[in-house]
Order: sequence, then C-alpha cells, then structure tokens
Amino acid sequence: MKEFFGKHGLRILAIAAAAAVALSLLSFFASTSSLLHNAIGIITSPFRNAVFAVETWVEDKQHYYADYSDLLEENAALKKEVAELRQNEHQAQRDREENAYLRELLNLRAQRRDFVFESATILEHSNTNWTSTLTLNRGTNCGISVNDCVISAEGYLVGIVSEVGYNWATVLTVIDTDTELGALVFRTSEVVVAEGDFSLMGEGRLKLTYLPESATLLSGDYIVTSGLGGYYPSDLVIGTVESVKVDDDGLAQYAVLAPMVDFDALTEVFIIKDFTIVN
Amino acid sequence: MTKRELAFKWITYALCTLLLLFLRALLLGNWRLWGVLPFLPPIILACVVSLEESTPATIFGLVFGVCCDLFFHAPFPCLYTVSFTLAALTALLLSKSVFQQGFARVVANTFSTFFIVDLLSMLALATRSGTAFLPMLFFCLRETLVSCLLLVCYPLFFLIHRFYSI
Repeated sequence: MKEFFGKHGLRILAIAAAAAVALSLLSFFASTSSLLHNAIGIITSPFRNAVFAVETWVEDKQHYYADYSDLLEENAALKKEVAELRQNEHQAQRDREENAYLRELLNLRAQRRDFVFESATILEHSNTNWTSTLTLNRGTNCGISVNDCVISAEGYLVGIVSEVGYNWATVLTVIDTDTELGALVFRTSEVVVAEGDFSLMGEGRLKLTYLPESATLLSGDYIVTSGLGGYYPSDLVIGTVESVKVDDDGLAQYAVLAPMVDFDALTEVFIIKDFTIVN
Repeated sequence: MTKRELAFKWITYALCTLLLLFLRALLLGNWRLWGVLPFLPPIILACVVSLEESTPATIFGLVFGVCCDLFFHAPFPCLYTVSFTLAALTALLLSKSVFQQGFARVVANTFSTFFIVDLLSMLALATRSGTAFLPMLFFCLRETLVSCLLLVCYPLFFLIHRFYSI
C-alpha cells in the first residue's frame, strides 16, 4: 500500500484536486446548485431530518422545566396584549372601511399585497463563524428558486434563498456578509441599504449604510425592505435601529440594526415564492 | 497492515468524524464562547493528519475538504478543499521538521490549519466586501483558541490509530 501511494500518490492528488476545483467551480457558476451538490443534498436530507428531530427533542427536554415559569409570566402579558390588539383591530376595521370609501370617492386603485407562500422547516443552522445560513427542507420540487425571500411566522424578514436543490435550500440570513438589501426607514421613508457586516455578524446585528446627510434616525426606528427594482417585496420588516455610528474614516454615518428575528430560536419559516404588490 | 485492515481503519475514522460532528451539533448547537462558535472540522483534520503518514494524510485532507465544501457554506466555493489540502501538507512539513509526535504536534497542526482556513476566508471577505483585516485577525485568534477546546476528541482518534497499529 505504501508503495502504491509512493508511486501514484501525487498523480491521485493532482486528479482529485482538479476534480475538486472543477466541482467547486461548477457550484459557483451554476444557477441553482451543481449536480453533485444537489445529489448530496438529496441523499443527506433524511439524515438531516433525523438529526434535527433528535436535536429538537433534546432541546425540548432541556428547556421544559426552565420554560414553565417563564410561560406563566408570558401568558399573563399576552392576555393583556390581546386585549389591546382587539381594541386596535376594531379601530383598524373602521379605518379600513373609511379608507375604502375615500378611495372610491377619489377613484383610486385598491392597494393589494398578494404573496404565494411555502412553509418550510429549518434543518440546520450554520455552524461556521464566517457565514450565517440556514438549510430548509424545501427545494425546486416545491417551486423554490434562488433570491426568494424567507420570512418568519410573524412576517419579519429572515433572509434570502441563495442556493436551491431538489428538496433543500440554503438561506443567507439578513446578517450574513453577502446579504445586501434595498431598505426604507419606515418613519421617514428615506431610502438606505441594509447589509451584513463581518464584525457585527457575531453579535447578530447588521449595518444600515448610504444614510442621507439629512437622516434623522432614532433608536427603535423600523427598517423595512424598499421593494425598489421589484426583486424583493416591499414593507417586510428587517429590523430596528439600535444605534447610529460614524465610519472609521469619519466621513460617513452608519446605523446598527437589530434584526426582528432570533435566528437561533427559529424552527419554521415561510418562503415567498411569488408576489404581487399594487400601491 | 493488510488492505482490509486499512479499509476498516479509514471507515472507523469516517464514522468517528460523523459521530463527532453529530455530537457537536447536538450538544453545542449555536453555543458561543468569546463571541465565536467552536469549529470542529479543522480539529478533526489536525488530529488525523498528526497520526497518519504523508500521502494518506494528504488524501484525507483533500477528501475531507471536498465533503466540507459540499456540506458547509463557506466564503468561497472550494475553500475547504484548497485549505484542508494545504493544511495537511503544512502539517506534514511541521511534523518532519519541528514536532515529531505527541500532543504538541496536534496543537501545532490545529493552529496551522486554522491559520490557512482563516487566511483564505479573510482574503475572500476582504476582496469581496472590503472587510477590515484587524477585526478579522482578532476574530481568527479567538476562533482558534476557542476551537482548541474541541481537542478533547484527540484521544478518540489516537485510540483508533493505536488499535489498528498493533
């Protein structure tokens, strides 16, 4: 065996290296995912499901007793919140009717937001320090494609589909360094860019750049997707402003955003397969 | 060692790797220490490369790198294939010239593996998104030190190696 490696080792190494680089290049340039990557994803999907089930079971057991007292407190707070929301709902119903009536008077086209959703389970959270990704159990078999938006059950933006196979998809979360989104300050309608930043990723935060000089951001301001260009739907909440800072060069300002989603706690998400927005 | 024994040894290494990755996901999950996740694959590579001979160790580095590229998302597509092969070769160089054997060799290999993986990742991020080097360097140091805690898995590989060497 030693002789074999001694004689053919370098040749094997060169062939394997060439094959590996070719496969990697295929992955890089393919519009969905390369053949091998896709096949591996399909084969490992049931195992990932099994590992996810075991992980969830262990976590449930770990948190069961600790969560009980928290749940009692949360239940009381939620009851209060439900009462307030019911009151707001009545008010919103009256406002909707008034809005429809006024639109009719002014001959305005009705606003419409139609989303086609696909629910998905998170099979894996990324376990490297250099990227922030999620693996979902839905793929091209459910009509998922690259650049589809992924949102939480509450409607907050989780990330963008970056790679898709037959029955799996990889999502770049909003805090990943490769994520860049056109955004809007909800309060002032100022157009900005929300992007992942390496030094903030570890803290679970992202950056808001290209702030206008006149920008008057306040802590807690909601940042939503702008929808400009039609790539992503508008008005998906990305996060809230945490602080405003000055760049290292001292010339430009940027804001630190806290995403609305707790990525570690996420288990279920919704993928927006298609959308129509009429304003 | 017969071909059969050799095959069994590498199958045992592979199963051990799978088990460790599973346990890491199960027990540590997204647990962070000093702001970083302990990263297991370079540790596994360092352990195996420290115990094996040059050519099988390099081929392990290459194959393990391809597998990692297929399973993990990285700053660029063939990061682990390139870096793990380079790391295996560097480890062999180190073992020939500096550290002959023992735990010090594994620690040195761990540091060199993380250095190569992180250096390539840093270059990819710096060229693509202009991320500053200094915070990344500090981050790499933290990642290496925190991941060194996972060297507790070394005895497992050592036992496998010893079992098949007798």
